[in-house]
Amino acid sequence: MTHKHGPGRERPDANERMRMRKLLASLTTALVLGVVVTACGGDGDEGNGNGNAGTPATGESGKKGGSLTVLSAADVDGLDPGYWYYQYDYMALAHPTQRGLYGWEPEKTEPSPDLAEDLPEVADGGKTLTIKIKPGIKYSPPLQDRTVTSKDVKYAIERAFLPQVANGYVNLYYAEIDGVKEFVDGKADEIAGIQTPDDQTLVLKLDKPQGVVATGVALALPATIPVPKDYAQKYDKGKQSRYGEYQVFTGPYMIPNDSSGKLTGYTAGKEIQLVRNPSWDPETDYRPAYLDKITFSGGNDLTVASRKILTGQGLMSGDFAAPPTAILKSALSSRKDQLLIEPSQGIRFVALNTKVKPFDDINVRKAVSAVVNKNDLRVTRGGPTLGPIATHFIPPEMPGFEEAGGEAGPEGLDFNANPDGDLNLAMEYMKKAGYSSGKYTGPPVLMVGDNQPPASKTGEALQSQLEQLGFKLNYRQVEHSTMLSKFCTVPKADVAICPNLGWGKDFFDSESMINPLFNGKNIVPANNANYPQLDDPELNAKMDKAATLTDPAERATAWAEIDKEVTAGAYMIPWLWDNQINFASENVNGVRNKFNSSWDIAYTSLK
Amino acid sequence: MIQYIVRRTLWMIALLFLVSAITFGIFYALPSADPAGLRAGRSPNPELVEQIRHQLGLDRPLYAQYFDYMKNLVTEGDFGYSYQNNISVRTQIFQRLPATISLAIGAAILWLTIGITVGIISAVRPHTLVDRVAMGAALVAISAPVYWLALVALYLFADDIGRFPLFPGAGSYVPFSEDPSKWFTSLIMPWCVLAAAFAAFYARLLRSTMIDTMHEDYIRTARAKGLGERRVILRHGLRSAITPIVTAAGLDIGILLGGAILTETVFNIPGVGRLAYDSIINSDLPMIQGTVLLGAFFIVTANLVVDVAYAFVDPRVRY
Repeated sequence: MTHKHGPGRERPDANERMRMRKLLASLTTALVLGVVVTACGGDGDEGNGNGNAGTPATGESGKKGGSLTVLSAADVDGLDPGYWYYQYDYMALAHPTQRGLYGWEPEKTEPSPDLAEDLPEVADGGKTLTIKIKPGIKYSPPLQDRTVTSKDVKYAIERAFLPQVANGYVNLYYAEIDGVKEFVDGKADEIAGIQTPDDQTLVLKLDKPQGVVATGVALALPATIPVPKDYAQKYDKGKQSRYGEYQVFTGPYMIPNDSSGKLTGYTAGKEIQLVRNPSWDPETDYRPAYLDKITFSGGNDLTVASRKILTGQGLMSGDFAAPPTAILKSALSSRKDQLLIEPSQGIRFVALNTKVKPFDDINVRKAVSAVVNKNDLRVTRGGPTLGPIATHFIPPEMPGFEEAGGEAGPEGLDFNANPDGDLNLAMEYMKKAGYSSGKYTGPPVLMVGDNQPPASKTGEALQSQLEQLGFKLNYRQVEHSTMLSKFCTVPKADVAICPNLGWGKDFFDSESMINPLFNGKNIVPANNANYPQLDDPELNAKMDKAATLTDPAERATAWAEIDKEVTAGAYMIPWLWDNQINFASENVNGVRNKFNSSWDIAYTSLK
Repeated sequence: MIQYIVRRTLWMIALLFLVSAITFGIFYALPSADPAGLRAGRSPNPELVEQIRHQLGLDRPLYAQYFDYMKNLVTEGDFGYSYQNNISVRTQIFQRLPATISLAIGAAILWLTIGITVGIISAVRPHTLVDRVAMGAALVAISAPVYWLALVALYLFADDIGRFPLFPGAGSYVPFSEDPSKWFTSLIMPWCVLAAAFAAFYARLLRSTMIDTMHEDYIRTARAKGLGERRVILRHGLRSAITPIVTAAGLDIGILLGGAILTETVFNIPGVGRLAYDSIINSDLPMIQGTVLLGAFFIVTANLVVDVAYAFVDPRVRY
């Protein structure tokens, strides 16, 4: 088809031109006003962003009934109890729908017996643990006529070692159970060290004492959630286990299912429905379970969801770490009672790779630690509300925190003392390292960080701080999962600095904070968490010994001493002990569980 | 025509194989993350990671992995299982497809209706107040990012957080089969947001082509013969000018059926676009492969439909 341009255009007359100008002016004004009104959109006066918010409810009493909706950005990591390892999995599924040998009551930092009648009986110097299981705890439909036995817990632990379940912690905490290696290597059909002399007795035989198992803390992890072998085994065949889609429940709530056990109340990435478990007996459980129905809604935009929760009814936050800064500031002044800001026992740090020059030199590491302005790094995440400045690696409320120096940190570490950074001190350490000018003069060093804010902002702030000390950084910002799986957790990648790293507890025991990060035996080729690649035989021996202690007070002291030593080595620079900011609608009595640092659905009620 | 359709269908199949191979190559040979490592959680021992790698078949040669994947896909329609949540990729895609289709088709009807109407009016009344206002608004709509427009719409009109609560807000989508009227009202804002930029573009495109067409000799002849102005515009002018609109609409609808990521994200509509985005973030390779293939299928199918439609719109086109 050919096009021909026509004759000249008609010019509008003068009146029409005047109307057009007026109309354009009105439209522009309306548009700008609309943008301004929308952008301002707050709920009240701006707050100063400091301080705590609401008073935590304990869940000891609450109104029975009602429905609650939890808004989250993402979905749970998976439906399989053997795979659950992260905060949101615990919040949405593990705590409200299942019972393991031990659990965590909201305000407690010691595990509470759940399926177990009591803490493990320890014998044989900590190598034999006997646990009695409560009788009469029933499964949900379609296995409502069955009760939990020790064999179900045995199978649950065994299947957690299967690659098709891909549990992330059994190799850390249960590997000392006798017979694990043979089972994993395929030379045995079961783990010989997990014994079931009768239906209500579980005996664990360990090759050597494991404090985290003897004290019950590691047995509060979801791998002890019972799984009936004859029911589940068919789903555990194949490349990936399908048991999660057919799981049976022991907790106060369950995901609705059909008569074959297939879950009908789960839409991947979108929604999880929880309803009351008809088989649950409140007399056997410490959870009150006030609510009748809970809906977990995924895929929500943080800003939109934050507004909905704070201004709506019957809503609460799920996997959000905090509302956006502007909304948080506004809520702190006008909706304080709807916020709960508490320590999460998480920590953020900058890792320095001791296998990459110049960070093999302790004086360079101390210099870097001295120059870092931790207050500025904290501002990139939203300021003091997000948590106190970290001065060592055991966070507040964890055993050993005070023994390791508390908020002030270990004594005598001048490079760790000034949260605003100290360039002069840093330069002194650089001179000790052989840089006579007090500044780094070597080649550029590789730093790999997250490309999304606020992590990207933290990395950029650190970059400008290090540049004061003469460092030229080859700074790459990549996707979060790429940062971890291709760079910062891969020793071969030889990344000198990783600025956007953090760690959280597995339970209330400081071994889970220190051992994975600093024990040389934990250096692995991929998914490595010993980011600085520290491998000090003396320190390793101290950590191995501390791991065998079974007395909680001795453990706290031992791990605190190790914390002081690794802080003194400046292998990593701790800068923030994370707070978790949970928020809910005004008609919700939210109860936070200290262990998970998020809302505990089984204790939450409506006003 | 039948021969043409058969020929194009065979090309379509060949093209989908090529897309699957390229996608496979990119994500399996050059992954942004190690799926076995991601699946293994934090601090796994190397043996576990290797076991998982073996379990998922990731330690086999690439061509063997690709062959297995295509064999399962072609013979059983099996897209594999998500590395993230162990649920069938096919199940998740088909669960979400109705939401994406609802969003894309509804927005398409809206933008075509508005775009064509405005384009015609602007074309037959060029440089008038109506034309300038319409084209000015079109420019604003094209310039406004979809994400921003969606948030503004929510903050103004959502019934939960909006200043003027008129429509259901984010997360209110329900399937048509569950509640048709709620389905409809929950999609009004997403349709409007998604259609805005497209309608604007189509209006400008049609205006441009129709202005040229309306100056053609045969249009003058039609008027000279005494045909009514409406008939001249719609029957003769529009019919010639609409061809680029047909092409663009076909491609745009095809692309949107693969997922309108930004709109689905802001309005929390559980569609394929959001699924694709989440799978990229999680390096969930089977899901990425599935959503890419689906997107490619819709685009090549849309191209075929457009080309066939030409034959009906333009009698000069014959296959």
